[in-house]
Amino acid sequence: MDRKELEAQVLELVATSYNKDVDDLSVETKFKEDLGGASVLMVGLISEIENELDVTIQLQVAAACETIGDLCDKIEEEM
Amino acid sequence: MSVLDGIFAKAKENPQKVGFPEGTNEKMMQAAYEATTEGYIKAVLVGDAAELKALAAERGYDVDVFEYVDINDEAYKAELIAKYTALPDTKLKEKALNRRMADKLQFAMVMQAVGDTEVTFAGIDYSTGDVILAGMSIIGLNPNVDVISSIGLCEIPNWEGSEGNLLAIGDSAVCQNPNPQELASIAISACETMQSLLGWTPRCAMICYSTDGSGIGELVDKVKAALAIAQERRPDLDIDGEFQLDAAIKPDVAAKKVKRESKVAGQANILIWPDLNVGNTGVKLIQTFGHANAYGPMLQGFNKVVCDCSRGAPVSEIKGNIVISAVRAAGLK
Repeated sequence: MDRKELEAQVLELVATSYNKDVDDLSVETKFKEDLGGASVLMVGLISEIENELDVTIQLQVAAACETIGDLCDKIEEEM
Repeated sequence: MSVLDGIFAKAKENPQKVGFPEGTNEKMMQAAYEATTEGYIKAVLVGDAAELKALAAERGYDVDVFEYVDINDEAYKAELIAKYTALPDTKLKEKALNRRMADKLQFAMVMQAVGDTEVTFAGIDYSTGDVILAGMSIIGLNPNVDVISSIGLCEIPNWEGSEGNLLAIGDSAVCQNPNPQELASIAISACETMQSLLGWTPRCAMICYSTDGSGIGELVDKVKAALAIAQERRPDLDIDGEFQLDAAIKPDVAAKKVKRESKVAGQANILIWPDLNVGNTGVKLIQTFGHANAYGPMLQGFNKVVCDCSRGAPVSEIKGNIVISAVRAAGLK
């Protein structure tokens, strides 16, 4: 999977987990400022990433990501 | 009879199945053994069954007191995965769940989620963070709340409140600076916890430095906003405020400061702190100057009872927390 495909898939997963329209999201979207940052939603997102991308990301690692792009970096490191 | 004696007696009436993913820990095994042989719970040790059995024998216990579940029993694991993934609103699918179940804590929580145990008890080797994270992803949050929090039960000598010398207080341990939604969640969870544990009719006060608008500013606004959310989400519960501590628990002060009908003012049995600075200081004041016994913190906000204990806790305290969690689970049925 190349970076563009990964980003597209992660954006879809974020949209599902945070109940947002995927067209309103980008790799620049910030979890805390733009999405509200509730930890329960992040837990859901991590589960979706595990299910769909077969990658385990620790919550502390995901919670430290400022943007969706940062999260993609962490996922890429684990793939 | 102390409050703990009453809770222990209640546990004996209906012993619950408690899953222990840290049975290899000597203190945890001893607490589980004592709680089982004294009739409060039925202990299920989760891990490497042969190792757990050998350890129990080596430590001089009757090995038949425990039920053992082996996390490498593939048939049972497959059965659990099938049941779990069939549950509504679970997020993890088969492959991800299978990977997570290599971990004893998460295996035990899957057992609880499908109803094979009523409680998961951990926290002596795993951190509180591990327990909360596993609980959030495997057991899930109660749909009425936004956050995991905690409640403690204080037994205060020479205090005579609306529940005798007992007072529930929260959150003194988990949520640092809850926003209004989260503060409302703490109040709702606290009411449910005390209903299930002691059968109380909750009278829950949102604590503030202001009573009914006597102060103004963002600290008051936060508590007022939380109160409005809690009352909207659970109109069936008596949650009221914003109240100063004395207006919440002293009828004479409430009569002067709260000039309206309130089932809570002066009669509160549950106090909800506005943040963890207040909560942590509050519980230490009660313990230091009020010479209170403080039980807990009990985690709350999960779909089922998940219990954590301090890593430095002695066996007697672990046993007390196991029994409290079992009574809460029985009370939720």
